Amino acid sequence: MTREEITEKLQAVFHDVFEDESIRLRDDMTAKDVKHWDSLNHINIIIASEQKFGISLTTKEALNLKNIGEFITLLQSKIK
Amino acid sequence: MTAPALDYFELIKEAKRVAADRCPGKVRIAFLADCSTQYLVPLVKALFFRKGVFCEAYEAQFDAIAQEACSDDSALYRFKPEIVLIFNSTAALRRSYFAFEGAAPDFAEQSLKQIRAVWDAVKQRSSAMIFQTNFAAPYDRIFGNFELKADASFPAAVSRLNGLLAQAAKSEERVLINDIDHISSYLGRRRWFDEKLWLLSKTPCALDCLPYAAQSVVSMAQALTGPSVKCVVVDLDNTLWGGVIGDDGLEGIGLGELGDGKAYQAFQHYLLELKKRGILLAVCSRNDEGVARLPFREHPDMVLKEGDFSAFIANYENKAANIKAIQERLNIGLNAMLFIDDDYFERNLVRSTLPDVLVPEMPADPADYVKTLCELGLFEAAAFSQEDRRRADLYKDDARRENLKSSFANMDDYLKSLEMKASLGRFDSFHLPRIAQLLARSNQFNLTTRRRSLADCERFMNDQAKYRPFYITLKDKLGDNGLICAVILRRDGEDLEIDEWVMSCRVLLRGVEQFTMNAVFEIAKSVGAKRVTGCYRPTPKNGLVKDIYAKFSFDRLAESSEGETRWSLDVSRYEEKPVFIAQQAEVH
Repeated sequence: MTREEITEKLQAVFHDVFEDESIRLRDDMTAKDVKHWDSLNHINIIIASEQKFGISLTTKEALNLKNIGEFITLLQSKIK
Repeated sequence: MTAPALDYFELIKEAKRVAADRCPGKVRIAFLADCSTQYLVPLVKALFFRKGVFCEAYEAQFDAIAQEACSDDSALYRFKPEIVLIFNSTAALRRSYFAFEGAAPDFAEQSLKQIRAVWDAVKQRSSAMIFQTNFAAPYDRIFGNFELKADASFPAAVSRLNGLLAQAAKSEERVLINDIDHISSYLGRRRWFDEKLWLLSKTPCALDCLPYAAQSVVSMAQALTGPSVKCVVVDLDNTLWGGVIGDDGLEGIGLGELGDGKAYQAFQHYLLELKKRGILLAVCSRNDEGVARLPFREHPDMVLKEGDFSAFIANYENKAANIKAIQERLNIGLNAMLFIDDDYFERNLVRSTLPDVLVPEMPADPADYVKTLCELGLFEAAAFSQEDRRRADLYKDDARRENLKSSFANMDDYLKSLEMKASLGRFDSFHLPRIAQLLARSNQFNLTTRRRSLADCERFMNDQAKYRPFYITLKDKLGDNGLICAVILRRDGEDLEIDEWVMSCRVLLRGVEQFTMNAVFEIAKSVGAKRVTGCYRPTPKNGLVKDIYAKFSFDRLAESSEGETRWSLDVSRYEEKPVFIAQQAEVH
């Protein structure tokens, strides 16, 4: 999967979990930049992404996510 | 309605749309937990909302069960809960176990004491019911199988504590056990325990398992106001036994050793257990009544007896009308009835005409009937009294003939909605085996029971001049019924004789009879026949079709001493009957 394809698919996850089609992901985006993205929804995003991409994050990786860009890079490294 | 899915993400969305003003019912639940309840609570709210109940929730401080329970003026009691859910998690218990300074075997007793102290505190300060969770058994065994024999073992302590909890709850009227041990075991511990999720958020189980824990709470709460299902209505053929009693007879239906007969017996055992706990059973079957009762009276492998049923309806009316009659006789709500039928046509008919009745999808394999029903979680009990035990006896069926209402107006709408398509073709080698089988096995919808053999059928197929034999296949938007009708027409001077007419009873009263007769007269016209003739030869099993020619306005020509009747109708006098079946291909 290319980086663009992953971004597109991850964006769909955000649209679905937050029920907000207007969200546009940028590499420098953090939780502060998105309306519903609190600690409760952070878990929902992680679990939904794992399900959608068929991959698994380690506890450390889940704790250390800083922004969308890093998340996409991480997903890229895990997707076969 | 069918049972909607327990999907975590779907329920989270539904939780956002919960609105108090759209709910006829309300409930107040307090959540005390040593794990996080932030994902559990919205699921509980969403599941209550599906049942028209608005759940107001109080979430106590994290890991402050004893503190909040024992404090006189805590927010917990100011909330005035009707139910206090106490969620003790295995992860928190493990921490306590390894911090315990006493001897390992005493840990379970000590933990029980602490839990009982919380019960007592709540009982003193509130009139709420207590739902106490028990513990998901851990997957880590230091000793492997020897864990069961070891003294100092956390799994052994959990197992012992669960046993002690169950025992303690027996003498507590206000305590019900929320059996997380069962749920986690059913789903599988390897799936249940999500260590990353615990570390990140102290959630007690994987998110996709949480809806089951939430459903458990909702089912228990609903059971407090009475059982959700009071009556299970069952079909007979291919539901209580394999095959069709009208066609296969006592010797041919699948029960006991024959085929998958044991699967049906297991299902009957399950239904019998439901009856013993106070849930009424009723039969609703498409059959001649005497034929339907036969296995109950004479088959040695039947588990259920006529006396186990509070209503027994077997006729050729539509099932929605019959279920309505059962509902009126038993004086319960339609929404307290569960209808089980192996046939998707019947299930969908009842769903569309009686939307309050619960109609689960049934699996193709009867071996899975019990599991399918168990997963619905419909049989939650909050108590079990002597009255429950005897309920079925109070409603014993007295074999009265029902005075049934005529078919619903919506039956036509339902048939139309199915988008039925039939194709009709002259006997051909591809279809011959199935045609011969239908002729050999049909007993009920069989006009002359001549039992034409495969060789006979082949002869008719090849004789273009004298015979016009055809078959009909039927499908609709929900499924394919395959080849369900065969007619053998024979030219006899100016007459076209219906030598044989068989149809599968499964497709009765959908319009196939009319579709068939329309086709017969069209063929008669095309070969220049003046009359269509036919005869009815009675057997012990085909009373169903005794008057079918009369229904199509045929004139009765003669009746023999044995009850055999001959009929005819001029081709010019036949009026085409309206049907909701579209014809696909015609091959003569």
